[in-house]
Amino acid sequence: MDAPGKVTGTALYAADFALPGMLYGKVLRSSEPHARLVRIDAGRAARLPGVRAVITAADVPDVRYGGSVKDERVFARDRIRFAGQPLAAVAATSPDAAAAALTAIEVVCEPLRPVFDVAAALAPGAPLVHDAWASYTALPILHRDGNVCNRARIVVGDVERGFVEADRVFENRFTTSSVHQGYTEPRAAVAQWDSSGQVTVWSNTQLPFEIQTTLAEILQLPPSKVRVIVPGIGGGFGGKLRIGVEHFAALLAMKTGRPVKVMTTSEEELTAAYARQPATVAVKTGVTNDGRLTAREARLWFDTGAFAGSGPGVASVATLMLAGPYRIPNLLLEGFAVYTNKTNFGSFRAPSGPQANFAVESQMDIIADALGLDPLELRLKNIVREGEEGPTGQVLTAVGLEECLRRAADAIGWRDRRPEVGRGKGIACGWWTTTGGSSGVYVKVNPDGTVALNTGAAEIGTAALTGAAQVLAEDLGVQMADINVVSADTLSTPFDFGAQGSRTAFAVGNACRAAVADLKRQILALASKHLGVEESALALREGSVVGAGKRATLGELARISQASGGGLIAHGTFVAPPTPYDTKRVEGHVYPAFHSPSFHAHATDLSVDAETGEITIHRYVVAQDVGFAMNPAAIEGQIEGGVAQGLGQALSEEIVYENGRVLNANLTDYKMPTARDVPRVESILVQHPSLVGPFGAKGVGEPPNIEPPAAIANAVASATGVRITSLPITAEKVALALRERAK
Amino acid sequence: MTFDYHEPTSVREAIELSARFGGDGRFLAGGTDLMVQIHRGRLNPRHVVSLQCVPGLDGIEVDGAVRLGARVTHRRLESAEAFQGALRGLAEGAEVVGGHQVRNVATVGGNIVNASPAADVVVVLLALDATLTCLGPAGERTVALDGFATAPGVTGLRPNELLTRASFPRLAPRSATVFLKAGRRRAMEISIACVAARVTLDDLERCQDVRIALGAVAPTAIRARAAERHLEARPLTDGLMRETGRIAAAECRPIGDVRASARYRALLVATLVPRALARCLERIKLGAP
Repeated sequence: MDAPGKVTGTALYAADFALPGMLYGKVLRSSEPHARLVRIDAGRAARLPGVRAVITAADVPDVRYGGSVKDERVFARDRIRFAGQPLAAVAATSPDAAAAALTAIEVVCEPLRPVFDVAAALAPGAPLVHDAWASYTALPILHRDGNVCNRARIVVGDVERGFVEADRVFENRFTTSSVHQGYTEPRAAVAQWDSSGQVTVWSNTQLPFEIQTTLAEILQLPPSKVRVIVPGIGGGFGGKLRIGVEHFAALLAMKTGRPVKVMTTSEEELTAAYARQPATVAVKTGVTNDGRLTAREARLWFDTGAFAGSGPGVASVATLMLAGPYRIPNLLLEGFAVYTNKTNFGSFRAPSGPQANFAVESQMDIIADALGLDPLELRLKNIVREGEEGPTGQVLTAVGLEECLRRAADAIGWRDRRPEVGRGKGIACGWWTTTGGSSGVYVKVNPDGTVALNTGAAEIGTAALTGAAQVLAEDLGVQMADINVVSADTLSTPFDFGAQGSRTAFAVGNACRAAVADLKRQILALASKHLGVEESALALREGSVVGAGKRATLGELARISQASGGGLIAHGTFVAPPTPYDTKRVEGHVYPAFHSPSFHAHATDLSVDAETGEITIHRYVVAQDVGFAMNPAAIEGQIEGGVAQGLGQALSEEIVYENGRVLNANLTDYKMPTARDVPRVESILVQHPSLVGPFGAKGVGEPPNIEPPAAIANAVASATGVRITSLPITAEKVALALRERAK
Repeated sequence: MTFDYHEPTSVREAIELSARFGGDGRFLAGGTDLMVQIHRGRLNPRHVVSLQCVPGLDGIEVDGAVRLGARVTHRRLESAEAFQGALRGLAEGAEVVGGHQVRNVATVGGNIVNASPAADVVVVLLALDATLTCLGPAGERTVALDGFATAPGVTGLRPNELLTRASFPRLAPRSATVFLKAGRRRAMEISIACVAARVTLDDLERCQDVRIALGAVAPTAIRARAAERHLEARPLTDGLMRETGRIAAAECRPIGDVRASARYRALLVATLVPRALARCLERIKLGAP
């Protein structure tokens, strides 16, 4: 529904949004990674031409906020914790004037001993990123200790016994780099206060209701005084879940009495946004000689940066991903979120998925090679099947994994795994959740017979609201063209948990089904009265109620209802039913089970230049169990985009740090793949209907991003015999590894 | 970022404006480097003198020699008929720069005066023995491209001088040119190492004339002179070409940075030089009557 406007360039995004008299805000960010903030003097900046306000920590309420741990402030107050941390903000009549004012703010600070990575943060005697961590308000379930802001754990059986039962035990270590979501539209917000003391913020957030709550906390206002509207989102992929620039816009607008717009630069995006957490993963797996997995002990350490943010949750999800979609009787899995003096890394499409999957699926191939087994056969021998348990004891249903693996392997021509020298095929599989959370919709029939869908979810570009509208059209018997969507306004739309976790089409679609059920009752009762026909003899068909040879259009009934009873309108809600799991198996865990899990397999065929290490991908196949393919073209679009993004993480993208500072904070040296780098992606839609999703659908948006690094690593190993254990798998790493081996 | 924008309509007027503004002025051709540098705060000129309306700077002339006006775009190098044969290396150097939008406006002259060690077209022009014509208040002079850039971003262009064209002799029969580049992606990529080769063979299949130029492996684009000498009057065997690659790798002076390590850059030179030579050989054979 949103595609024509986006293709023709007429769609409105938050970055386009402007108001009369609007000022432009810019944020002064620390150049020091860890320091005591001695003094900040904005006097000279405030007197520069065009400058209307300069604010620092002294001008804003002293509030610490955060989803799972309240450890972050709007501006650094006495301590700077990463290079890029906001110190002050300026509002001026032009972006240039605001930028000029930033350079006139004087900052005096004394450097402190920093911790730049997980190993340094966990070393004995390491400086604490937050001295007062123990006093912070936090989710009670978290296991926190010094620089560890959560340790999530799954324990099943007895891993030591499992390793004794094994014939071979494999221990491997993997590392991944931070990568940015690469959304086309930077984070942007415009804020305006009205005379009643209400602030309205137009923002490209994925979660307007969370931003409303966070802003209310920061501004010390009741949430009803904060209205968040999403005019449009030019890509988010998890990077626009948490507060970005909304608070700066709101605070500067409050101070100046004028609307203020704040938009990030590429440099800010690459130094101070919510890029994917770098990870270190250690996996120890026991296996019998015939390839049966007996035990796995795995630990994944996320660098969460200076604040907890999404870290504690993502560390929890990671443990489920470390188990993989495998039946392993003994498990000890831990996910850590560790503070360092870097930006607060965050959620990125299938958070934790690619990091954990890269480790686990690389190791599956290492095991297969060592045992002389076919990697596909090793997987088929160990994957979870219908009715079996997931790692935390959830009962798995609609498990389409075997079909995914077999079809991806068949499509890539798996029997001929090394067709020529320097060429090889790789496979990787995984599972993922369809995130729960609640959705509400209002559905109204208009007097012309069209239908308005009012949802609190934002269309993030996945066609998720198109999917929800398709569900609505199907159930109500109207055309897609007759549906209009109103979305994502915290004042006027019903609550929605937001555009995250592959849940939008799933949850909003189900809320639409509930609304239609109510609406149908209203419509049939009214039609029965109007047509003089028993309700049981009536049916909804093609925009009309028909029965006993009579017919009333929905428009006609809406007009009657408006004249007599206020109109045809229904409220539908959905919340994913809880997935039962064994609570004794988990600790410090905020995400103990995957709702309506999806299953997938990726296979690729590539060549490696033995001298330069350059990788050429010939084919890339994805077989994904989507439950029910509501909109095959849109799903294929999600798969193609997810793979392109995954290949970036696999092959070329990394935010490079040196002593806490980003070396490549520009789009020249941060290497997202171009159209010439991405092969045609072949999608196979496998459909094992979920019990909960609308028409059996499962979440589809995030999964395609999970397997590309592992599939590429396995294919490179197949082609060259060289195993690369760190991301990205650059040509340089491959070439130098080949050279080392030749010695 | 504010500056006065000037649009002279003749070379003379452009040079007069430049003389008037001195260090406060900059010439603007395609702007793909200048505007980025202004935007990033690295340059802050008070006057920008556009060459857009200056006639006579955008010609590609091929007679006894080849002359490229300073404002000839990369797109035109890519698509010019004159660079599809023995001079194919020039089109190859142009077609891998940036993306379509960049190549539509980025110019040969801008590429030369920007003096990036990774300027792809400059590397090909070095292999072609290009000379540069610079016009200033004191008149016109011709200088060799080799040695024109002295450090990253630094050239021998004098104050108020305008680079008007690059020229190089036409190739002898039985010649070919090749350009090869390595980077992390296939477009929008700054070379982490690049190589241009020009080979002319004599009737006995021996190297009569060879140039090997390297980009992104020294403070400026450079010629690999020891490697060139190694090939003199010898037939291009596989072994000789590989040796030549190793010699070129030994004479380059790469740095390690966020794009690649010095070691990998040298390894690429050792690999790309023999590949470029082999491809030249292949082309000469294909083109031979």
